[in-house]
Amino acid sequence: MRIVCVVKFVPDVDKLNYDFDKNILIRDQARLTLNPDDASGTAVALRLKKEHPGTSLEVITMAPISVLPNLEDLLRMGFDKGTLLSDREFAGSDTYATSRILARYLSSCSFDYIITGTHAVDGDTSHVPAQLGEWLGISQISGVSRLDFEHFNEGCARVSVEQERSMETYEVDSPAILSLSRESGYKLPYLRKADMDRYVKDHIQVVDRQALGLPKEETGLSGSRTKVLGTCTKQFEKRNRVLVKADEAGVETVFSYLVDKGIL
Amino acid sequence: MKKYLIVFDEEVSPGSLDLLEVARQMYGNEAYEVYGLSLSGEPMEAMKYLDGFIRISNRDPKGFDCRQWTKVIGEIQKHYCFDGILIPGTWMGRMLAPRLAVRLHTGLTADVTDVRHREGHLELVRPAFSGRLMAAIIPVGDGPVMLTARENVFRFQAGEEKRTQIHEYSPTEVGLQGVRLLDVQMKPAYYDICNSQILVSGGAGVGRQFQQLEALAEGLGGQLSASRQIVDQGLASRQIQVGQSGKTVSPKLYLALGIYGAIQHVEGLRQVEHIISVNTNPDAPICSLSDIVVEGDAIDFAKKLTERIRQYREDLKNK
Repeated sequence: MRIVCVVKFVPDVDKLNYDFDKNILIRDQARLTLNPDDASGTAVALRLKKEHPGTSLEVITMAPISVLPNLEDLLRMGFDKGTLLSDREFAGSDTYATSRILARYLSSCSFDYIITGTHAVDGDTSHVPAQLGEWLGISQISGVSRLDFEHFNEGCARVSVEQERSMETYEVDSPAILSLSRESGYKLPYLRKADMDRYVKDHIQVVDRQALGLPKEETGLSGSRTKVLGTCTKQFEKRNRVLVKADEAGVETVFSYLVDKGIL
Repeated sequence: MKKYLIVFDEEVSPGSLDLLEVARQMYGNEAYEVYGLSLSGEPMEAMKYLDGFIRISNRDPKGFDCRQWTKVIGEIQKHYCFDGILIPGTWMGRMLAPRLAVRLHTGLTADVTDVRHREGHLELVRPAFSGRLMAAIIPVGDGPVMLTARENVFRFQAGEEKRTQIHEYSPTEVGLQGVRLLDVQMKPAYYDICNSQILVSGGAGVGRQFQQLEALAEGLGGQLSASRQIVDQGLASRQIQVGQSGKTVSPKLYLALGIYGAIQHVEGLRQVEHIISVNTNPDAPICSLSDIVVEGDAIDFAKKLTERIRQYREDLKNK
């Protein structure tokens, strides 16, 4: 079986803090980490390789060159090949342009399944996996929270999606894109000490715009269909808070408030 | 006259008029026509506000998968040339919208929470960085404006009732289904925190003791909700998460226990009448948004308040 994972490295959003008084976002140089949903996707791919010996695994990302060490770690965990799509001209690409760049590379790969995450914590759109499906003309399914490893082969895959009120199981014909959710609980293994410094660079390729044969105007800002005008922080309505302690008097204040407001 | 299409997902999001309100804010001052189409069921409530409803005939009894829907709506767009296509933020809507945007070679803005007009341009506002920042997006290019809207943010007041014309549409080329539903298991206990009037919400400060808040929720006649930290630790299901990666809620009372109030959490609070927070840190961001701030241990306070309410109810009974 041939599996390709598409991943994104994102800043750790928990490290970004917000100053409500000044209404600014405090952005220290947050380190890039593997997006949580994508970590579940790569974990599933590694498990599939274990259960189906002979499976080939490739991981693809579009990012600045600086993510190479992150990519190398995935190879040390068991991916056979890594591809970094990187070019200064890709900067500013919206999801339309990004999915186009990724799809251009993917259309040259042969695969049974593409495994991705559903949602990236920085962009927050969930667009790219579905857009890849359309560029490549194949099925795509989001929010996968369980994979049925017994019913997973070259022809079709069985996956479950957690919905609001139910758990639904779907059969998906290959080739297809399966987009995992971190709710699945699939976790990447720790990198073994023996593998930590393993040389893997010869299995990683860096591909730029020219190598992909994409015209310049179809990538970056000029290839995008949306433009970010600006960002702002949100203003929140402050209230005239009453401060009490968690003692008897405090309980009484809260209790009386609830009675006054007709909540009790 | 401008024309736009609202896609409904009626069985999943019944009675949703949110997108009618988004459209009103987008085109409010000019004359426009609004069409509807539904991925599941028929939008009974919204129907009377539509100029046209496109009903798909010769529908496969198995329904369409997302790839097929993309083809069908792509074809419909060729006929009608809508200026805008609005899609709900349901599971299906979120897979459909990006595909359709690629098919129509147009831009897509996800999870819109606000619509602005500036110097003749339409600006769509959405959260980014897990709700830490708001980004104003403008669509560029010639394609229709496409967006998905965050659920439970836009509220349609009332509009002019219209004579809805039904347009039967038979798609020509849908291709084979590649995704088939095999099985549905209903969840045993379920409530939607979007409908709750009283929410007792637990955060990192409550941690593993989260389930202990159940007694207080019960005493208040409300439900439990949680912050992302609690859900990420597997202590509660994503369905009861408040915030950017969870739901937007508008209860009468929001009792925030051990919740720090990071912006992505606060983003999920909309038109909450009363906010009471309990925190060991009275300077946590949630506290400046609260009516009452209780400084101290959340679990300890919850127990005391539960007891006080129990006593109150007993006194009422004995009167």
